[in-house]
Amino acid sequence: MTINCIKKLLLLSCAMLISLALSAQTSFTVDVPRVVGSDENFRLVFIAEGEPSSFNPPQLKDFDVLAGPSTSTMTSTQIINGKRTDSYQVSYTYILQARSVGTFSIPSASAVIGGKTYHTNPVSVEVVKGDANNSGNSSGATSQKSSGTISSDDIFMKMSVSKGKVVKGESLLATLKLYTKVPIGGFENVKFPTFNGFWSQEVDTPSNIEFTRETVNGKIYNAAVLRRYMLIPQQTGNLVIDPSEMTCLVQVRASSGGSRSMFDDFFDSYQTIKRKITAPSIHVNVSPLPSGAPASFAGGVGEFQLSARLTKDTINANEAVSLEVSVSGSGNLNLVEAPKITFPADFEVYDTKINDNTSKSGRGTSGTKVFEYPLIPRGAGVFELGPVVFSYFDIGAKKYKTLTSEKLTLRVGQAVEGSENSSASLPMGVNKQSVKSIGSDVRYIRSGLSGLVRGNSFFFGSVTFFALIVLIAASYILMDKFLSKRIERNRDIAGVKNRRANKVARARLKNAESLMKQNLYSAFFEELHRAILGYCSDKLNLSLADLSREKIASSLEEKSVSKEHSEELLALIEVCEYARYAPDQDKPEMGQNYQRAIKLISDLEV
Amino acid sequence: MKRVLLIITTVLICLSVNAQSPKEIWTEANNNYSQANYQAALEGFLKIEKSGYVSSALFYNIGNTYFKMKEVGKSILYYERALKLDPADKDVINNLQLARDFSLDKIEEIPDFILKTWIKEVNYSLSSDAWAYLSIISMALLALLLLMFRYGPTPRARKSSFFGAMAAILMIFFSVYFSWSQKHEYYKKDTAIVMKPVSTVKSSPDNSGNTLFILHEGTKVSLIEEIGQWKRVELTDGRQGWINSLDIEVI
Repeated sequence: MTINCIKKLLLLSCAMLISLALSAQTSFTVDVPRVVGSDENFRLVFIAEGEPSSFNPPQLKDFDVLAGPSTSTMTSTQIINGKRTDSYQVSYTYILQARSVGTFSIPSASAVIGGKTYHTNPVSVEVVKGDANNSGNSSGATSQKSSGTISSDDIFMKMSVSKGKVVKGESLLATLKLYTKVPIGGFENVKFPTFNGFWSQEVDTPSNIEFTRETVNGKIYNAAVLRRYMLIPQQTGNLVIDPSEMTCLVQVRASSGGSRSMFDDFFDSYQTIKRKITAPSIHVNVSPLPSGAPASFAGGVGEFQLSARLTKDTINANEAVSLEVSVSGSGNLNLVEAPKITFPADFEVYDTKINDNTSKSGRGTSGTKVFEYPLIPRGAGVFELGPVVFSYFDIGAKKYKTLTSEKLTLRVGQAVEGSENSSASLPMGVNKQSVKSIGSDVRYIRSGLSGLVRGNSFFFGSVTFFALIVLIAASYILMDKFLSKRIERNRDIAGVKNRRANKVARARLKNAESLMKQNLYSAFFEELHRAILGYCSDKLNLSLADLSREKIASSLEEKSVSKEHSEELLALIEVCEYARYAPDQDKPEMGQNYQRAIKLISDLEV
Repeated sequence: MKRVLLIITTVLICLSVNAQSPKEIWTEANNNYSQANYQAALEGFLKIEKSGYVSSALFYNIGNTYFKMKEVGKSILYYERALKLDPADKDVINNLQLARDFSLDKIEEIPDFILKTWIKEVNYSLSSDAWAYLSIISMALLALLLLMFRYGPTPRARKSSFFGAMAAILMIFFSVYFSWSQKHEYYKKDTAIVMKPVSTVKSSPDNSGNTLFILHEGTKVSLIEEIGQWKRVELTDGRQGWINSLDIEVI
């Protein structure tokens, strides 16, 4: 064993002890490199936290025990914020060498600590054919490259993906690993790739970099996971993951010229050189999802289950209720969109709340995603919601699958009185301001006349209506006939009278003549007076009672009788009246007046 | 002869026993209403309606009762029916306005031509019957004036009666038209009220049609045509669509 190696081992064990000491619990563990070279000496360490009363080593039949078990103990005391922690650790160290190439297991060892028996887990060790020069850092100083130079084999970075060919939406894991044979002091200028075309998220990246031994092309490297990403391709085609770069601070032993003194071995002087390493870009072939996706396809790729429920079955209008649709399973669950649900028209639907209860792992996201649809029904009734339909692409079966939930029934009662607030929160366009007039009421009913009628109650067009029209028309016609007849008759009477006037007057005058012959003075004038007045009455169409001298005069004037004739007539009437009512005075001549009357009537008739 | 008499009397007795007279039901229902016993009042009014009686007052009372029972859609329906019988009734107009305030849908009405609005206003200021009576009175007046015109004693009387007759003819023309148009409106049955709290109007007369808009209880629509169970309706703002016949009730 070289000093270098021992130093390293000491460092390692110290680090381990410290880290173990932090967890001051009783435990019994084993520590061994996973990969060793066939001619390599390696350490197998059983570490007991606490003081073991007995130690039962395992059978190591596949390995040669070069040394051990050597026991070392360590105690540590920590005081943090006045809290004291003591730990006590015992380690049993073997130095082993493999006999042949292959994978061998180290069976479990047991120890009794504090009266309880603890067992270590069996571990397997891969033994590769290793030549001493290339077998990693533990193989000794001679295996170190000549100082100052490191080949690209000594340290490199590699990006690997769990699947090279995926369908769109199928999740894959990308791991960025560092492989090294040389000790590394640190990193600089780390540039991690951007995953164009992918939805990416870092998953379970270790908080500190832990090296494990791994073989690459038959060579043993210390490998460490730098980053691990979950990728979900969002595009199709040949997607390229960019190269990642970083600069490693590699510690190489400083060269001290050609000759090496023996002190050099003790006082190794290391120098740090910077080395830029690059993980080559890799390709992921993303094939599109097959055509014929159902309408309800929400982008889910993986394996899912669906369930739906309502938070309440029975509510009143204007109250809130939620429809909860939960999609569980594994796949790109985090990218699954809320299934589209058609709600009844009068439902107010608010933004879907997404409750993500998932964990991310190499297989994608798994867990449950709950979509909550808050609803407020505005009208009463019994509503059927759903069924919720959710389609996804089943990776295993390579086809679309559709999940359908059962139908949900929501009973909505009438809005509760007095819930002004809820009605006030009606959206614009539906709400009307005028609902404020709540204090007013309908006018009171008609309590008096009912006015009830059967069937057609219209007066217009009824029998009565038409009957009335007919009645009016008939009465009009009758009235018209009557009036026209009366006028006709009136006109006739006048004509007859007119025509008869001469005759009547002459007859009267004849009568008067005979009276004159008998010398009956007053009777003659009476007859004469009557004849003249009768003539006037007939001629002027005036009644006898109406006859006055003024009336006669105006009527004559109207009839356009000449002035001398009317004067003569009036004079004659005067004479007659004088003769009749004043007989004692000097008497007018009978014959002369008789002639005057005859002459006047003859003149008027012309 | 005796048997016939017997039958007649039994029938009459049956009728009188069976059917309360509508007048009695009317009074009873009114009493129920005044005691806020709306369910019973409604039953009474509906019984009268069922037996084939109509009147503006009856529909008005039914509308009021429904309103009191918070069934706005139905109250609007009955107010509209009352208005059809008597468009001039101020109480009905008032209550209908109030009931409409409680319905959800607010639809902008396309304003009519101003002259049309005036004519409508004049038309609905009296009921059909009133216009009919007015037309009869005008006809009688016309007859009198015509007689006066023909047989008037003086030329002046004849002249004024001529103009009077002209006015009477105009009066007859308008009153007959208004009376007829109101009656025609009543029998037209081309408007309906949405009865369901929520009903969707589709773009085509089947359930698969696109939902164009939603109507709520109490909204008035005009009917345009009918295919099967679906009716094409038009809103007052001019939008059209198909609605299920079960969702609406014709006024």
